Amino acid sequence: MHSHYDDDREDQDTMPDFGEHVDNGIFEQILEMDDDDKREFSKSLVTNFFDQAEETFVKIEELLNTDKLDNGKRLEQLSSLGHFLKGSSATLGFNKIRDSCQIIQQYGHKLNVDGTPEQNEQVCLDRIKAALKTARNDKDVLADMMLNETHGFFQPDEE
Amino acid sequence: MHLPTAESAADASIKHTMADMANTVLNMVISGHEDGKDQESHHPDAQTDSANPGPSNADAGLHSLTQEHSNDSSQDNSASASTPTTQAIEDENDPAWSVATATTAHSSIDDTIVLQDNVPPTHPFAAPDMSLLFDYNPAPLLLLSSSCCITRVSKRFCQDWHVTEEECIGKFLVPFLESQVRESAFSKTKYIAEAVDDAVASRSERTSKAITVKSSFTCRARVVPIFRGAELVSIQLEWSERPTSEVLDNEFVQPGLSTDEAFRILVQALKDYAIFLLDTKGHIATWNTGAQLLKGYTREEIIGKHFSIFYGKEDLDIKKPDMELDICLREGRVEDEGWRYKKDGTRFWANVVITAVYKNGVHVGFGKVTRDLTERKASESRLIAAYEESEKLKSDFLANMSHEIRTPMHGMLSACALLLDSPLTERQRDIVNIMDESGQILLQVINDILDYSKLASGSFAVSSDVVGVASIITSVVRGVQTTLPPAVHFELFLAPNLPKSVQGDPLRYRQIVQNIVGNAAKFTDKGSIRVKASVHSEDSDSYTLLTEVIDTGIGIRESASASLFTPFSQFDLTTTKRYKGTGLGLSIAKSLAELMGGRIGYRPNPERHGSVFWFTARFKKIKSLEQISDWKHQMAAKDGSPISPVQPDVTVLQKRLASVANRKSILLVEDNIINQKVMLGMLRSLGFKSIELAADGAAAVKMVTGKPVGYDLVLMDINMPILDGHEASQKIRDAQVKVPIIAMTAYALKGDREKCLEYGMNDYVPKPVDRKYLIKVLATWLLEKVDYRKAYDERLQQLKSCDEKLHRLSVSERAAVAIARRESGGEELKPLAGEKGVKGWSTPFKEGEVSENAGVVQGTFDEPACTKIPDQVEKTERPNENNGIGTFQETAPGFDGDEQQQLPEPALSDGDVSPKTPGASMAQPPLESAGEEAKVEEDAKA
Repeated sequence: MHSHYDDDREDQDTMPDFGEHVDNGIFEQILEMDDDDKREFSKSLVTNFFDQAEETFVKIEELLNTDKLDNGKRLEQLSSLGHFLKGSSATLGFNKIRDSCQIIQQYGHKLNVDGTPEQNEQVCLDRIKAALKTARNDKDVLADMMLNETHGFFQPDEE
Repeated sequence: MHLPTAESAADASIKHTMADMANTVLNMVISGHEDGKDQESHHPDAQTDSANPGPSNADAGLHSLTQEHSNDSSQDNSASASTPTTQAIEDENDPAWSVATATTAHSSIDDTIVLQDNVPPTHPFAAPDMSLLFDYNPAPLLLLSSSCCITRVSKRFCQDWHVTEEECIGKFLVPFLESQVRESAFSKTKYIAEAVDDAVASRSERTSKAITVKSSFTCRARVVPIFRGAELVSIQLEWSERPTSEVLDNEFVQPGLSTDEAFRILVQALKDYAIFLLDTKGHIATWNTGAQLLKGYTREEIIGKHFSIFYGKEDLDIKKPDMELDICLREGRVEDEGWRYKKDGTRFWANVVITAVYKNGVHVGFGKVTRDLTERKASESRLIAAYEESEKLKSDFLANMSHEIRTPMHGMLSACALLLDSPLTERQRDIVNIMDESGQILLQVINDILDYSKLASGSFAVSSDVVGVASIITSVVRGVQTTLPPAVHFELFLAPNLPKSVQGDPLRYRQIVQNIVGNAAKFTDKGSIRVKASVHSEDSDSYTLLTEVIDTGIGIRESASASLFTPFSQFDLTTTKRYKGTGLGLSIAKSLAELMGGRIGYRPNPERHGSVFWFTARFKKIKSLEQISDWKHQMAAKDGSPISPVQPDVTVLQKRLASVANRKSILLVEDNIINQKVMLGMLRSLGFKSIELAADGAAAVKMVTGKPVGYDLVLMDINMPILDGHEASQKIRDAQVKVPIIAMTAYALKGDREKCLEYGMNDYVPKPVDRKYLIKVLATWLLEKVDYRKAYDERLQQLKSCDEKLHRLSVSERAAVAIARRESGGEELKPLAGEKGVKGWSTPFKEGEVSENAGVVQGTFDEPACTKIPDQVEKTERPNENNGIGTFQETAPGFDGDEQQQLPEPALSDGDVSPKTPGASMAQPPLESAGEEAKVEEDAKA
C-alpha cells in the first residue's frame, strides 16, 4: 500500500510543499539515498533529527535557566549547541530550524546575526531564548508535516 | 587749500589787483581741479553732485585708494604754489601775461566777486602775480581765447612739448596741434577739439582722449572752459600724461569722466560680479549691484556685517573666513572655490578672490570679488559624468571584446598546434609554423592592449597562486633564446637563497619577465643578456624578489629614458620600425609590478653599452607541498578557457568513482549523528564500502596515526568537541601522514578555505554537503591525484602527466622543471611517516624521468655560469650540493642527443616529450595554447 503511494510520488516527482521549512533540493538528496521504495533511511534520519533537536532544545533551555554557570560560560555552551543542531538541520535541509540555530550560535559568540559584536550578555541570552522558542515552534510544525500519522510525509510503518 | 596760500602771499600792488583777482580765480579753478580727488576724499559733500551718488566712506576709500598719485601731485602743487614769491618781478614783465590779461582780466572781477565772496577783490594779501603761479604750475597749461586761439602757455608746457612761447601764442589750437603730432596722427587732434567743443557746450570740464605728440609722449587734455556769466572768456587746457591702460583710455574714460569715477561706475554697475570691500576685520564696507543680485542682500542690510555670513556651516566650523583673511594678509591674495550662501539660504558655487588692500602702506581692508560658477560647476559635473559613462562603456566593450577576440584566436592557435602535431612535409610545417608564430604575436598584441585598458581602468586583479620564480625565468629565457642571433649569450643568475616557490601571481610575474627579457632580446644584436634573480628583502611572511635584466644592446638615449614607462611611447620611432610592438609593454610591466607591490626601473648598463631593467615584486611565502598541489587543483578547476578540456560530467565522474570506490577506504569524522548518517548514506550510495567513523577530532587523530596508510581519504568536520577539525588535521600532518583531508563545514565563508589549507587540509566541502560537489571533490582526490602513499617522485610525475600541456613541452622547458626540482632541495621531500620501504628516497626519480636538465645554464652569483645556450648541451648543473636526504641522479638516462637537437625549437613546436615521461599514462586532454599553466605545473612539482 505504502509502496504504491511512494511509487506514485516518485513517478510524479512530487514533493509535498514544506514551504520555507525545508530546502527541497537538499531534502531530495536525502530521499534519493533510500535504498528501496520505502523511505526507511530518510525516515529514520528525520525521526532521529527530531529526537536530536528536542534533546538539544532541552539542553539549551537548561543552560538558559541555570544559575550555576556565569553568563560567559553559558553563552559559550549555547553557541556550541546551536552549531551542533545547525549542522544536522542544514544537512537535512531544514532551513527554518537551521536559521534559528544560527542565531543561537551567533549570540552565543556574542555577535549579532550580521556579525557585529553584541556586548550585552543579557541581550544575547534573551535573543537565544527567543530563537529557541521559534526553533521549537518550527520543529513542531515541521514534525507535524513530516511525521503526522494521517497527513505526514512519512507514514508510520504498518509493522 | 590754495586760498589761504594765495592770501598770505598777496602783494598790495594795486596795479595788479585786477589781474591778481583773475589769476586767483584761475588758480582756484586749477587747483580746485587738481585737488578734486583730494577734496572728494576729505569732503564727502563734494560727491553729492558727482555722477556717483554713493556717499559711503568706504566708497571714498576705494576712490582715494586708486588715486594716491593724484593726491601726491596735488600736494606738490600746493607746495610749489606757496613758495615762488621771489619770481614776481620777472613775471610782471612777461609779455604773454599781458595778452592773457587783455582778454580775460576785465571780465573776471565780477565773476570773482560773485563766486568767491570770501575773497575780497582788493585784499592786501592777494597774490601779486598769478601769472607766476600759472607759469610754474607743474602741470603743462595752455590758455585759449574763446575762438580757440592760443593766448598763453605755461613754462612747463614749453618744456614738455619742446616749444617756445612764440611758436604757440596766436596760433589756433588745431593747426598748432597738427604741427606737434606726427602726420599719421592728424586725426587724433580732433579729440582735443572735440573735448574743447564739448566742454564749452556743456560749460563744464571735459577730459579728452589721448594724443601722441612728436616728442613721443602721449597726453590728454583736461579742458576747463571759463565763463563769465554766459560769456566764454577763456579755455584752459591742462595736459597730463595719459594713463597707461589702453582700455581705460579708450573705453571708459569719456570726456569729463575721471578714471576714479569710471572705476566707481564700473564696479557699481557690474551685475555678474559681486565686488565689495571689507574692512580689516572682515566687515563689509561696500556693496555693488552684482553683490546684491548674487547674494540677495541689499546694501543697507549688509554693510557692517561680517563676510562670514556668506559661508556654510562646514566652512565656518573650520574657520575658513578667518583663515582666508590670514592667508590673504600673508600672501597678498587668496582664491577659493566653494559653496556660498545667499540671503534666502540657497547656495551657489562661488569663485572668490580676496585681495589685501593697502593705502600708503597701511592695511585698510580687503577687496573681495565673487563670481557665481554654479552653472559652470554643473556643466563640469555633467561633463565628468558623461566622461565616466563613456569610460565605463569603453571598458565594458573591451571586456567583451577581449573574450570575443581571444576565443577565435585560441581556436586558431590550437588548430595550428594540432596541425603541427600531424605528419607534415617540411614546407607545410614551415608554413604552419609561420601561422602559429604570427598568431602568437597577434594574441600578444591583443593581450597587451586589453591588459593595458584593464590596468588603466583599474579593473585588474592579481591572483594568488604558486610562483616558481626560477622556473618562470628559465622558461622565459628559454623561449626568448630561440629568437636570438647566435652572437648573443644568455646568462642566468639565480641567487642561492632564491625561494623555489612563493605565493603570488605567476602569470603576471611571467608577463613582466617576458616583457623585459623580450625587450632585451629585441634590442640586443651581440654580447650578452644577463638575467638575475635575487631576494631583495624578506620578512616573516613575504619575500620581495628583485629581477634584473642586463643587456649589451643598443641602450636607451637619456632623453628617451624618462618616457620609457609611458604608454604608447616607443623607443624606436623610425619609419622602418625595425622593432615591432605596441609600445605598451613597459607601461603594462610597470603597472603589474606596482600591483604586485613592487617597482620597476631602468638604468644604463654600467659596464658596457646597453640597458639594465629591474623590477621588484612582493610574494607571500608558502608552507607546504600540499598547498602547492592544492593550488594546482584549484587552478585546474577554475580554468574555463574555451579550449580547455570539458569538465567531465558528474555522472561520468560518479561512474568512475564507483569503479574504484570499493577499494577505497574513507574515514568520516563527524560528531553529529544525523550528519554521520547522511554522509554515510551518501558515501555508500556512491559505492564506498569501507567507511570508518570518528565522532571527534581526537578519535580521528588516533585512528589515522594508528593506520598512517590505512585511509585513502579523510572527511573532516571542523567544529567538533574535544578536538576540532583544524587541530586534528594539524596533528595528523605533524605526524607526517599525508592522507588527503577534506574539510566539511557549514556556512562557507571566503577565507574558510584558506584557513583549512593553513591547517594542512587539502580541500573543502561546504555543508550541507551537495552530492555533486562531493563527487567532484572525491573524484579529484581519489581519481586524479596520486595516491599519497606513493613516493613523491611518482607523484610529481603523475601531476606532470595530468597536465595537458606537458606532453608538448620542449626539452628545455623540462629542463626548467628539472631546475625547479633541484631548487626544491630536500626540504620538501622528507620521507613520509609510515612510508612503505622508503625505497625511493635515495633515488627519488625513476629512470627515464630524471631531471632532463639542459639548455639553460644555472649560475649563482658567486659562480656565474655564463654559457651560450644553444651550444649548451653538456650538463652544467651545480654539483650535488643540495640536501641530506635525497641525492638526485644528475646523469639522466633519458637525456640523449635526440632531445638536444630540439633545443632551439619553439616551445610549441613539438609534442614528443610525453613518451619519455612514463607517468604520463592518462588520457591527454586537448592542447592548451599558452604556456602559463605549464609553468605553474612545474612549480607545483618543485
